[in-house]
Amino acid sequence: MPDIFISPEDVEKEKSEKKNERKTTPSQAKGKSGHKVHIPLWASYGYYPENVKFIDQEPQENVILFLRAHLITNLGWILVGVFMIFAPLLLEKFPLLDFLSLRFQIVAILGWYMITMAYMFEKFLSWFFNVNIITDRRVVDVDFTNLIYREITDANLNKIQDVTVSMGGVFRSIFNFGTILVQTAGEKNFIEFVDIPKPDTVAGILSDLRLEEENRGKGGSKL
Amino acid sequence: MNLDTFLGISIWSIVKIFVMFANLIYIVFALVMVRQVKLMTDTLELGYEKIIIGFSYVNLTFAILVIIYSFLTL
Repeated sequence: MPDIFISPEDVEKEKSEKKNERKTTPSQAKGKSGHKVHIPLWASYGYYPENVKFIDQEPQENVILFLRAHLITNLGWILVGVFMIFAPLLLEKFPLLDFLSLRFQIVAILGWYMITMAYMFEKFLSWFFNVNIITDRRVVDVDFTNLIYREITDANLNKIQDVTVSMGGVFRSIFNFGTILVQTAGEKNFIEFVDIPKPDTVAGILSDLRLEEENRGKGGSKL
Repeated sequence: MNLDTFLGISIWSIVKIFVMFANLIYIVFALVMVRQVKLMTDTLELGYEKIIIGFSYVNLTFAILVIIYSFLTL
């Protein structure tokens, strides 16, 4: 039997239900795919990673997205490192250490390799541990700015005010990476995801999560 | 004039002291690095902690071996 009167509230409810049916939200995606993904050592993008845990993570909190700078951003220091590894071979052409005795020459070369090792390891650590994590509750930015300084910034999803994607330059366009600026209403005004891969996809996921959080909030407030 | 001595001390002995001092500084740096890696792996667990901590110890061991080698050969 056709309805004679439908209240505007019911119409809105029906519309939002249809909208939700159309789209799979990030927190539903895992349920559909069935399992989490194990991310490799060199990964800079992981959707529902199984092997990511961070300090202060709550027991029921799920990591949805794991991000770090694109692998190609390491090219500069890798090239410098490779040059440093092979630099002692140039001593055959340019005998700069010939004024030293053989024992001193060996120690100088060993010292050079120590510096090379420290340089490359430091650069790797800096890339490996500077990460951004998006969970079903918040956005987390882990930064290690120097040897012993650590900074962890987080903002709840409902505190996110604006998401800006910036992508420019030949390298970034070819390898599809860029920077996302997440403006928050928290103590720190923004969280930056620097040189992350697939910035548009990440912004989309963040937007979906925000919508989901808003809907959850509205549902909660109605109750 | 003998260029190998400075104030009656062999110049190579002075260089050896400098080399040993530089090595000691590097060992301190390598120790800080081990601590740093520990701090990092405590903050973030990605399943590769053993490899990275292992490498930080390799770096420290290399530094110790170089100082021993320098001490014995120079």
